[in-house]
Amino acid sequence: MNFKKQFREGLLTKNPVTVQLLGMCSTLAITTSLFNGIGMGLAVTIILTCSNILISALRKVIPSQIRIAAYITIIAGFVTIVDLLLQAFIPALSESLGVFIPLIVVNCIILGRAEAFASKNGVLASAVDGLTQGIGYTVALIIVCVIRELLGSGTFGGGLLNGGEGIRIIPAQYPAMQMVMPVGGFLVLGFVIAGSQWLMKYLEKKSKKKEAAK
Amino acid sequence: MKTESTVKYVARLALTLLLITAVVAVALAGVNAITQPRIETFNAQKLQSAIEEVLPGGGESVAFTDDTGLVSTVYKGENGYAVEVRPAGFGGTITMMVGVSGDGKVLGISVVSQAETAGLGAVCAATTSAGEAFRGQFAGTSGSLAVNKDGGEIDAITGATITSRAVTTGVNAALSCVANMG
Repeated sequence: MNFKKQFREGLLTKNPVTVQLLGMCSTLAITTSLFNGIGMGLAVTIILTCSNILISALRKVIPSQIRIAAYITIIAGFVTIVDLLLQAFIPALSESLGVFIPLIVVNCIILGRAEAFASKNGVLASAVDGLTQGIGYTVALIIVCVIRELLGSGTFGGGLLNGGEGIRIIPAQYPAMQMVMPVGGFLVLGFVIAGSQWLMKYLEKKSKKKEAAK
Repeated sequence: MKTESTVKYVARLALTLLLITAVVAVALAGVNAITQPRIETFNAQKLQSAIEEVLPGGGESVAFTDDTGLVSTVYKGENGYAVEVRPAGFGGTITMMVGVSGDGKVLGISVVSQAETAGLGAVCAATTSAGEAFRGQFAGTSGSLAVNKDGGEIDAITGATITSRAVTTGVNAALSCVANMG
């Protein structure tokens, strides 16, 4: 198992949002303030890690013909547990994310990783995979959130800093409201994907140059 | 499958799935038992503070007549009524409390629960300045209200006309309900 490689993959080269293009629904819908991005990212990371661990532990017991049904049952179980815990202990976040918490059940990242990774690898590797993919998802969400919030509302850290108002960077009359609407989500996501592609190419070139120099 | 008979094979699949769902169900029942009292107390507190917010001093639940079908409970206090209305928003039912004075003016509104889009419709319940400003404009109004897009005087939340319309509909329902009570 190679933790560093998995971390790199989750964050950049196999990032669930910018490379695998999984979980687009939540990525586009909730990324309007920093608080939402961090909350959703953490919720998905926790659920993804738990379901990866359990599915990996059960991978030899679950017959392959019913694996999807079994995975979805396990994932739905974890999502409901997290949903109930959020309602009971962090109601502000539960209200802010609303329907998107129950919708994590159908977030393809979780089923995708269960099918592509946890069903074929050991428990520890699967746990690391869940954690790194979750972090990759969270980082991508936060980047999209920060850009959309800045351009659309003119603030930074909405729902979290400055008593929920966020720190105002652009005066209230200038921000383009469209950026927090769906169209802004598609635009920003496109640019973030392009940016991550550029970064990957750049790093690749750099490492090739290094090898050539040797 | 190896030499397993069809009956055995189907039974094995069904039993495995049954076992998994049973374990998940038990786990959920456990978590629900732990969290339910907390969620219930929290919701009750929220309801109580919503009543207090729109009708200082609170009130007692009373019988009411309602033509709109949106009013769920009416609380009568010293200074007027707190009316719980449930208009349909963009992402589901919005439960809100509308304070109405005895002479038919809105005292204030408070959103108890909603499932509107985060960052847009959800502003109607937010404690941010935008949320306060949206709810604040209802205070002191009376009669029949509409959002500015429909030719009314209520400034809709930017990007959330449907939510704003729903809240306005709720306020109208509360006003007409209190008007019926005389």
